[in-house]
Amino acid sequence: MYMQLYLVVMSLLPALNEKNLPWIDVIHPIIVHFVIAMTLIAVVFDIIGIFTKRSNLFEVSFLNLIVATIAIFVAIIFGQIEAGLANPYGSSKDILNYHSTIGWSLAAILSIITGWRYVSRQNNPNNLSIGFLFVDIILAFLVCVQVYLGDKLVWIYGLHTVPVVNAIRDGVI
Amino acid sequence: MIIYNIFTKYFYFLNNISSPISEIRNSLGPNDLPYQIPIHPNLVHLTIGLFAIGIAFDFAGAFYPFEKRILRFLAFPVTRVGFHDVGWYNILAASFITFFTVATGFFEMLLAVPIADVKSIIGQGAITTMLWHGVGGVLILFIFILMTIWRGYQRFVFRKDFGRQVSWAYLLSGTIILLLMGLHGSLGAWLASDFGVHITADQLLVNGVELKNYLS
Repeated sequence: MYMQLYLVVMSLLPALNEKNLPWIDVIHPIIVHFVIAMTLIAVVFDIIGIFTKRSNLFEVSFLNLIVATIAIFVAIIFGQIEAGLANPYGSSKDILNYHSTIGWSLAAILSIITGWRYVSRQNNPNNLSIGFLFVDIILAFLVCVQVYLGDKLVWIYGLHTVPVVNAIRDGVI
Repeated sequence: MIIYNIFTKYFYFLNNISSPISEIRNSLGPNDLPYQIPIHPNLVHLTIGLFAIGIAFDFAGAFYPFEKRILRFLAFPVTRVGFHDVGWYNILAASFITFFTVATGFFEMLLAVPIADVKSIIGQGAITTMLWHGVGGVLILFIFILMTIWRGYQRFVFRKDFGRQVSWAYLLSGTIILLLMGLHGSLGAWLASDFGVHITADQLLVNGVELKNYLS
């Protein structure tokens, strides 16, 4: 009975293509454009803003951080679906685990930083404490590590690329 | 694929002559690059993210009169100038970084060894995809620069005293460019996912190397 139920559920799921995806291309790497670009540019604008005393750049950073915070949750949703369909092999399993852990942590960290930024901005939008720059640098570092791990999954292990998916289906890997 | 493998196996000397990359073959890794991870796809994050969000915030600034009540209801104090600031600084940063995106893209395209006899979803072969992506990339850089100059003139000259800092024509152009970039980016994505350009695992598999021996 459970077997039949399983088959019914499976038949309702969309078919997977030659990249082992229910949609044409990977979506997670597209959504992360907005997390990576917005956090890194926020850090850059904070640094320029502090050293050139252009306080309107702090507002630009803040609004970019909000976009990044929204985007990271969308990125995680698609990341989890596509990670579930990725069939990692060898040490890419470990890399995927680290990538997931840092990804979820970054969602929390980014939310806290953006919230903190909102509060400090309520007090005085034209001022940013130097201490925030340290937070910025840690954030940028974490994002870079996360990008590096994600890059490894794609560019070294080729997860969700046609040749690797074919090899997995043929049982070669 | 099989023909390609036989070719590389038995006519190795021919294969060796046919490509200029073979001159520096020894200093390249299995992904045909002198380093593990390609740089161009990482800079692309910045190019696309900055341009798209820049245009999005200019839209937010343009429709500010409609959003005002919602923003007040949410007790979220933002100004129209703030939105347009993001529109300006983000597109400025996008233009700056895109020079490097295009430069690294061309460097890595020179070293690309796409998998033979593959067609992308829209029926293009590897070289067609690379040519469109390469020429399109230069074109997009050119468009970015024009858009940035246009945006700057609107901010500092044409619409200096206006609440809405951008014209509808600018927003329309931005939207069309974003759609074009979606297609352009897809070509780039297929170069990786279908043609296996610069992906270590794909290149090893195509050359008949056991992945278990190479990638633990």
